[in-house]
Amino acid sequence: MKLALTVNGERRDVDVPPNTSLLSVLRDDLGLTGTRYGCGRGQCGACYVLADDRAVASCLLTADQAARMAITTVEGLADGAKLHPVQQAFVDGDALQCGYCTSGMVISAVALLAHDPEPDETSIRDALAGNLCRCGVYGRAIRAIGRVAGSS
Amino acid sequence: MWDRRDPERLEQRIRLERDGTVTALSGKIDFGQGLRTAFAQIVADELDVPIERVQVVLGDTDQVPFDFGTFGSHSVAQEAPLLRKAAAFARRQLIDRASAKLGLSEDKLDTAAGAVVGGGKSVSYGELLDSEPLAGVVPDRVALMPETRRTYSGKPTPHLEARDIVTGRATFVADVRLPGMARGAMVRPPARGAKLRSVDDAAARKMPGVIAVVRQGDVVGVVAERDEQARAAAAAVEADWHALPVEGPTAEVTMRSDPEVDAGLRGAAMRLTQTYVLPPIANAPIGPSAAVADVRSDGATMYVGTHRPFGVREQIAKTVGLPEKKVRVLPQITSGTYGRNSHADAAIEAAILSKGAGRPVLLQWTREEEFAWSPSRPEAVLEVAAGLGADGRIVAWRYDEHTNVHTAAGLDPEVLGVTSGRNALPPYAGFPVRVILHIEPTRLRTANFRSLAAAENVFAIESFMDELAVLSEQDPLAFRLRHIADERFRRVVERVAERSGWKERPGSRRGRGIACTVYHDTYVAQVAEVEVSLSGAVRLVKVWCVVDPGQTVNPEGVRNQIEGGIQQSASWALKEELVHRDGRVMNTGWDTYPIATFRDAPESIEVLVEGDESAPPTGVGEPGAVPTAAAIANAVFAASGARLRSVPLTRERVRKAMPG
Repeated sequence: MKLALTVNGERRDVDVPPNTSLLSVLRDDLGLTGTRYGCGRGQCGACYVLADDRAVASCLLTADQAARMAITTVEGLADGAKLHPVQQAFVDGDALQCGYCTSGMVISAVALLAHDPEPDETSIRDALAGNLCRCGVYGRAIRAIGRVAGSS
Repeated sequence: MWDRRDPERLEQRIRLERDGTVTALSGKIDFGQGLRTAFAQIVADELDVPIERVQVVLGDTDQVPFDFGTFGSHSVAQEAPLLRKAAAFARRQLIDRASAKLGLSEDKLDTAAGAVVGGGKSVSYGELLDSEPLAGVVPDRVALMPETRRTYSGKPTPHLEARDIVTGRATFVADVRLPGMARGAMVRPPARGAKLRSVDDAAARKMPGVIAVVRQGDVVGVVAERDEQARAAAAAVEADWHALPVEGPTAEVTMRSDPEVDAGLRGAAMRLTQTYVLPPIANAPIGPSAAVADVRSDGATMYVGTHRPFGVREQIAKTVGLPEKKVRVLPQITSGTYGRNSHADAAIEAAILSKGAGRPVLLQWTREEEFAWSPSRPEAVLEVAAGLGADGRIVAWRYDEHTNVHTAAGLDPEVLGVTSGRNALPPYAGFPVRVILHIEPTRLRTANFRSLAAAENVFAIESFMDELAVLSEQDPLAFRLRHIADERFRRVVERVAERSGWKERPGSRRGRGIACTVYHDTYVAQVAEVEVSLSGAVRLVKVWCVVDPGQTVNPEGVRNQIEGGIQQSASWALKEELVHRDGRVMNTGWDTYPIATFRDAPESIEVLVEGDESAPPTGVGEPGAVPTAAAIANAVFAASGARLRSVPLTRERVRKAMPG
């Protein structure tokens, strides 16, 4: 089916089988591989994208549902060479190891700060509770996000 | 084979480009433990170039020197001196060339920021390349940069790849895109070891997008244009399997047997015997296995996540019937896998699919496949007995370990001693010891889990040390110190006690536990503070850790690794259990295999890196994870009186073990 999506502020036309997931369209049709496959069931957060400013699992959204929303992926957060403050905070705080879950964490943090510019630690933990990390950088990520909140 | 070493050749280690950039080459692999950054720091320092000009190529079998594999936290220890020497040798050659070019003697020349300077002149490294690349056998002795001139080594340096990762640009295995690339999906048997009797693929072949149904031996899969099409068709393949139960072997290895153990136990003033049990757990990477294979009649290129690219090259060559020289393995960055990537399952399957379909193929395992088919850590049962003298010192120690952490590693006692027997010997001194390793049958496929059996053994040893201290009414810290002979070991234990304020009493329902170990010459001591609710729920509040990994290249990288090891190990201890029946893993996703989340992370993990700078660098990828379970279990005892000898420390288990 033919669909017109809005991804990272641009109109993107795709022709995909019915019920294709947004994750699959991003990775396989639009070349936006920064959004990662982790479980296909919305349980890990690796595939989170912003859909109208809310963090959602792109593996659970079909492409035609997504066509009604403004989608932002991790590739769409930086302003040219200037990283989004959340991205910069993750770099500065070395808040990553293998980096596989990082895209999803950054997306959740951006969504959180859009709604609550000064979240406390509990709010940060709650907002990112759907983002699993196996390398164990939770503490660093909490501090990195806290620093962005503190500086804004 | 573990120590196979060809002579070190400069051209296989350091390549200087005309634009002044430097490529450093190593067969080691970085899967999140920060090797790339550590290697870049070393080469930048030794060659005297800004770190931005150094790129590090890891594991490309067409470019790097042979390497047996990346495990056991040896990578920095093994590679750092080799890369340092190679870079120093390159610098010396550049000074030689500059000397000829500028007509100045070598003692008048020095280097600065990627140029040779002297006599008021400067010539960049790029200009010194001429037609001759830097080459030659690296001599055993090369003058190294004095430590005072090191700009990067020993300084906190964030991951070099961090920027690519936070922007989503980093290319993980499953992000590789090749022209004409198709997608694969496998048809799986009901249980491990099943043999394929027959396949009916008539329906699958007619489904949309299907390019081929491929069978080789007991491997069956579908190749299609799109991922969903391949999966749908794989589900439509009718395969008839013959289930053959597989079970690991049995064996017994005496790791140490001092003659006085039995007499010591008999004559002891106090005796204690306990059994500790750990369930199987999964590596459980966030990114399931993936591989891209491009197999053609005249050669194959493999994009894989692996700890041992040369091993994969050999396996792929055999699988697709090509000479090894015709197979190029290009390791990509992968999700952290903590050992699992030693096995090239997805790569072998992708190669079979690519060969059968005549197209490059990306194979992405599902979450369920990752739990079901990847190797895991098996169950372990540890029986410990010890006797104490009237003075409260240990007089004899008997230890029986039952497990098999590596079902494919064979039965060579030496190999078993360093795999299943890892850290089975107590790190304490002054008493006779008998340690016997019983290799037990297991229906699980087990291999290369983070720290192998060390985490299990140290859970038992350090829990038992706590129980001995309680039995003899001694402070657990003081009791340990009475049995430590090694000064570096003593120092980390004393330091973690200082940092955590060991003598202070935490609040009500809170308790602190200590545990320590020496893992591959890395010294590590931890104190955990927990809060235990009346219903038995355990909350990890804080962890303090002091680590001595010898000379430290990147203290920030060490801290990150140790923190991560502690966080992961806390998750094993508090939450994780793999359930299997008849050789089939029953956990299918994060709902049936929960791990620690952001909500479970402790308030703080304070890691102090206090490396003995006179000692060679040792690994940090694994040691952080080793003592944590015991530190937590000991803290749970201190907080609630519940002594848990089985993990995970679930609410039900803790409540049942709580006194009165």
